[in-house]
Order: sequence, then C-alpha cells, then structure tokens
Amino acid sequence: MNYIYDGTFDGFLTCVYEHYHSAKADGIFARGVYQADMLTPPREVRTDEGKARTVEAAIVKKISPHALARVYRVFRTDTDGKELMLLSYIRLCFKSGPAMAFLHSHPLVNPVEKAELKIGNEVHRLCGLIRFSAVCPAPAGGAGHGGEGHGGTVDSGAEAVAAQMREILYARVEPDHEVLEFLAPHFTDRFKSEPFIIHDTRRGRALVAWHRRWHIEDFTERDAALLENAPSERGYRDMWRRYFDAIAIKERKNPRCQRNFMPARYWQNLTEMQPR
Amino acid sequence: MDSGTMEKLAVLGEGAKYDVSCSSSGADRSNIGRIGSAACAGICHSWAADGRCISLLKVLLSNDCVYDCKYCVNRRTAGVARRSFEPRELAALTIEFYRRNYIEGLFLSSAVLVSPDHTAERMYECLWLLREEHGFAGYIHAKVIPGTSPELLHRIGLVSDRLSVNVELPSETSLAALAPQKKPQGIFGPMRQITETQLEHRTLSAPGLMGKLDSAFAAGVTGGRGAPIPAAFEQAGGGRRTGAGEPDDDFGIAIRQGGYPDRRRTYKERFAPAGQTTQMIIGASSESDLHIIRTSEALYRRFSMKRVYFSAYIPVASAPELPDMAMPPPLKREHRLYQADWLLRFYGFRADEILSAEEPDLDYDLDPKVVWALRHLEEFPIEVNKASLEELLRIPGVGNVSAKRIISQRRTAAVRYDDLKKIGVVLKRARYFLTCSGRYYGEGELEPCYIRDRMKGMEGLADPSRPVPILDRARIRSGLVGAGPEQVSMFDALSGRQGGL
Ligand code: SF4
Repeated sequence: MNYIYDGTFDGFLTCVYEHYHSAKADGIFARGVYQADMLTPPREVRTDEGKARTVEAAIVKKISPHALARVYRVFRTDTDGKELMLLSYIRLCFKSGPAMAFLHSHPLVNPVEKAELKIGNEVHRLCGLIRFSAVCPAPAGGAGHGGEGHGGTVDSGAEAVAAQMREILYARVEPDHEVLEFLAPHFTDRFKSEPFIIHDTRRGRALVAWHRRWHIEDFTERDAALLENAPSERGYRDMWRRYFDAIAIKERKNPRCQRNFMPARYWQNLTEMQPR
Repeated sequence: MDSGTMEKLAVLGEGAKYDVSCSSSGADRSNIGRIGSAACAGICHSWAADGRCISLLKVLLSNDCVYDCKYCVNRRTAGVARRSFEPRELAALTIEFYRRNYIEGLFLSSAVLVSPDHTAERMYECLWLLREEHGFAGYIHAKVIPGTSPELLHRIGLVSDRLSVNVELPSETSLAALAPQKKPQGIFGPMRQITETQLEHRTLSAPGLMGKLDSAFAAGVTGGRGAPIPAAFEQAGGGRRTGAGEPDDDFGIAIRQGGYPDRRRTYKERFAPAGQTTQMIIGASSESDLHIIRTSEALYRRFSMKRVYFSAYIPVASAPELPDMAMPPPLKREHRLYQADWLLRFYGFRADEILSAEEPDLDYDLDPKVVWALRHLEEFPIEVNKASLEELLRIPGVGNVSAKRIISQRRTAAVRYDDLKKIGVVLKRARYFLTCSGRYYGEGELEPCYIRDRMKGMEGLADPSRPVPILDRARIRSGLVGAGPEQVSMFDALSGRQGGL
C-alpha cells in the first residue's frame, strides 16, 4: 500500500508506526509529490505526535541516538525516495541489531550513508560560501525580522557603531538540501550578538537568529523586499571584489581547480563571482 | 570608510599574496567575545582564480619597506605604489568582511615600516583593537617581523592564534646575499621565544599552578635578562588564562543562569594557541634539496613548528644574484619538497634517509618515497602480515591510516591481497614492494628500472594542462648565491651561538 503524508518528520515517523501496526508500506510519498496510481488507492496518514515519539524512542533504544540523528539528517536531504530508503534502513536495524547501523558496505545502509554525507558536505561548504549583506528594515515597512523594530532612518549624527547596531545581516542561499537548521549552531556562535537571517530562496524559508536564539519561519521575496541594503554595503562588496581579484597569482592560474571547489551553482549568491 | 581604503586594500592584498602559509586551524575560541569563533577549523570561504583557498583576509599592514630584500616586490628600491593601513582602519575592515562571511579571520603581515618595532607596535595596535574594541574572537595569524623585540612579540602572541617568523632562505649565505638586513638572530630569536613561551604556558596553566603564574611569567617575558616588565604585561599575566585542555563548559552555566559570565566576554588570553609556522623561498638561491629538507627538519625539531611552508620563487626583479626573469616558478620542485616534508612529519623518515650528499636533489619524476624504496630494494618486499608499523609505513602506497588498519585486521585474520584495496592501500604503487602471506603480486622482477618505468607518469600535478617547469639547475647554480655543499647550515651556526641570542 502507498502512504501519503504531510511531508513533516513527525508525519514520516507516523508512517513508520503504521507500517508496523497496520498495513505494510510499499511507498511513502509527501503530499504533492504523489502521482495517483489507478490500481491501489493510497492511504492518507494523519500525522500523530504520540506515534512519532514512540517510533523515535524505539530507534534510540533499539538502535542508537546516533542512528536517530542520521535518520533525521537524511530526511532533510533532497533525495528521491528517501522515505522508503529510511524505512528499509530502520527495519534492517530493528531486525538485525544496532551493529548494522554503520556497516557501510551493506546495500541498505550505503545509500543512507551517502545521503548523510551529501548534506553534511553541503552544510560545511555553505559555512564558507554564504555571503551576508548588512541591511536595514526599509523605512516604510513595518517591523523587520530578527527583532529590530526600528523605522530604519539613520540620523546623520549617529555613530557608525549605532548604525551597525540597527543593521541585520541577511544572506540568500539556494541549497540542494534543507540545511538551515544545521547551519544554525555555526552561525549563532559566529554572530553572537547580531541579528541575522539566512534565507533559503528555493524553499521560501528562513533561519532567523539573534543572541544565540533562533527559529525557522516562512519567508518570501515580499519579506525580503522589506530589507534595504545599509549605506555602507556597496562599498564593502566592491572592496571584497577588488581584493579577490588582487590576490590571485597569475602565474598559477587554475580555473578548473577553482570550479571544482566552488561549483558554479553557488555563484549567483557569491559576491566575488558577480560580473565586474 | 574613505575611498582610499579600497586602493590600500588592492595594493596591500596584492603585496601579501605570495605568502603561502595560510590555513586556519587549531584554536578554540567558541563561546567568547562578541563576534566570531575560531572553533570550526578549516572553513574555506572562496577560491581565487589560481585555485587557492581563501580563508583569511591576507594583507600587509604596510608595503612601505625600509629593507631591500632582493627577491621581494616591496623592497625599498622597487618602484611600486606605497600604502599603509591605519591600524584602526584595518581592524574595522576586518570586522566588516567577517560579518559578511567573506573570511574566517585575519592574516596580518607587513613590510618593515621605519623599523621592526615600529611596525610591530602598529600591528599590535590593530590586533588589540580587533580583540578588545570589536570583541573579535575569530582567527588571527600574525607574521612577526624579524628583529621584533621580545616585549612586543609577547604582546602580539597574546592576541594571536598563530604566529610565524619567516626563515626566508635555506642558508645564512643566501640570507646575507639576498636579504642583507635580516639577521639569523632576528629570525631564530623570536622563533625560540615563541616555542618557550608556549611551553611555559602549557605547564603553568595546569591545575594548581595559578599562584606561581606571575613570577614565572615575569621570568619568561624578560627571557631572564632582568628587563622591567611593562605594565601591559602584568595586566595580561593576571591569571585569567585558560588551559589548553580545559573543557569549555562556562557557556552551559551561563545559559542556566540566564546570562554570560563577564570574563567570557573577551577573547581567551593565551599565547598563540595554534602554534607557529615558517616559510622558505625555493629556487631563488642555489641550495640543494638535501640542504632544504635538512633545514626544515631542524626547524621542526628545535622549534616544534606546526608547518614549514615552501614557496616557489616567482621572479619579480632582475638582479645578477637572482634567477632569470623568464624562469617559471619551480612548482614541481615545490610539490616534491612537500612530499618529502610529509615523509619527515608523518612517516618517521630522517632528512638524511631521503637524500644524501651523493644524491642531493629530489627526483622530480617520482614520489620521494618510491625513490627511497627503489634505492633500498634489499628491504623489500615487505610481508604485510608480519611487518611492524614502521616497516609498513615504508611501503610506497601505504599511508598512516592503511598501515594501522592492516595491523588491526591482522589481529583477527591474515590480510589477503584483495583486502588491501579496501583498506586503502594504493596497489598500483604498493604491489611491487610487498608480499601477502608469502606471495608477490607485482608482475615481473623486483628490479629498479622496471618499476621506475612503470611508475613514471602515473601521477602528476593536479592539472596536467598546466606547464610544469623543471628548474634548470645548471643555469641557476652557475649564477646564484647559496650555500655550497661544504658550507654549514645556518642551524649549525645557530646552535654554536645559542647563548648569545
Ligand atoms: S622586509 Fe624584505 S621581504 Fe619584507 S617587505 Fe621588506 S623587502 Fe620585502
């Protein structure tokens, strides 16, 4: 039987629960992704927090907390058929014991491990490749995000520091996987006292953080339009580009190497890769 | 920020680009300061057109040099634009770049502006502003100007994560000829001070020793010379230091109490916790590779260097003592030297094993480990099921990880040839040099010429389309300065002179 769920992690865990307690799941699809199959009507699974917790506890107890973390991370990847892949993984470990969980040559474990590696790599890469802009809430707009509700007019006498206080750091990313929450620990430690927003433009979500507290919320281009570049922003971007050009050693030019490390799909949000 | 800053950044970034020693690692400054962390090492922010990772803002504080090192674009007699940052200006620029996530920290170097101490003072001011005024806890690597006084060096060390003093050239003769104002004492003195101060801090920050801190600290700072300690040091030594191995649990407490403990608001005051490195220019003078790796071996031993970097000389000036302007940088030589360096650091080789007076230069066609093996065929093939860790590490194609795996698998079952690949052994190289339960898998004889031919061209530099120039030794040797084979290395000279430094 095919399962259809709401696309949340709890929803997925509920499917795992149902797989064990009612009908066997042959396919698990997020709503919207599922394409109707004439022969067998799918089953709509209602997300049930209680069932989700039960499955979570079972994974922790019968496999390990590590394995739960892995399941969660892989669930956040953009992998076709990840639900069924994870279900098979969980079943295997339940049946054959926790030692299976990290046996990387096993055909059911290997794809899970690969997917986990992919999201891990993207998170690590983005820790370096994300570019922030200093922005202020637009004067006409209402409250900005990140907790600063100022009207945004910088009076001329204000010191640079005061202006900086009113600034928010805003970054656009278009990641392959749902990485926002995995970026949070690194960037909340990096920007200890500054409000910042990392906007996943592909999924219309944003990590909003200030003073080490963070959450993820829906965030649209309309929301983004309420943010205006701070007066100093342009200057720093230009300086960064100028620096970037200055430090390459022309005797050692190696564009292939550059492209290997910095895939072209990330370039649109990279300040230094914009045309001069 | 005024428009001059842009101009300065271009000039002073360009001036620092030849410095190759650039990686952020080793320090832990999470949960402190107002901005930044050096907890997460190895983050690359971008890759320049030459394919090098950009992790730190690498700039000179000034390129207005009073020295005249022949190999340097910024030497006094060169006709280049001169610029200097104001310490405050550079500190602000660093923070703004850091906020935008362009960089992981600052790599600050400088030409000699007026004098070494004058320069060091300005560098210190810049770093101090970053740490104290901006609350910056990110990574700082400071390049120490040779001849900087111990007092200033100490202060700089307390606000930096990593320090480096460039040894510049592999021998005293070359140094005297190409960088006449730089003296060996000015280079090795600071190196030694860094090593000793770190040693001291490690001992002193052990539990139960805090009380002894001040007196011992004073002795360290003045190097036993009895000079008065400037007020700034006494303050710095005031017992706020945290040990290298201390768990960072203050933050957890802070959360429970709903605030941050005050002392954690500032960066951790430790002396260059990420150690020191140095850099040597390759190919500007005529030293043999043997001389170069002996020198770097001595540097690792005596000063506990984290790394010795090699920088292939790129001609910037024409002078009778220097290679021809048309000479391409000896990149392949640099690559082989790094491989030799790897053997020194991780494989238990000694410099004298890799090269000898009869064969003082590396073979640019082959990995030095293969060369060594071919020269010592009497020790091969090695039986993987019997050999010690040290012996396994001598087999070309067997690395540290695979050697350890072989040993651990042997405990349960004999290693079979088919297992070796999974274990991570590079068989196309290794098979000529090992047996597995008595069987030899390299086809043909264990015979140098044969193996050599099979291996040549099997590996190259990362990009085969890139021209790989080989240094024309004869041409270089004839015209260049440098230590001849009979000449003592500057480290021999150093040990003889130790007391006077
Ligand atoms: S001291 Fe020598 S190497 Fe350094 S900037 Fe001046 S001339 Fe160049």
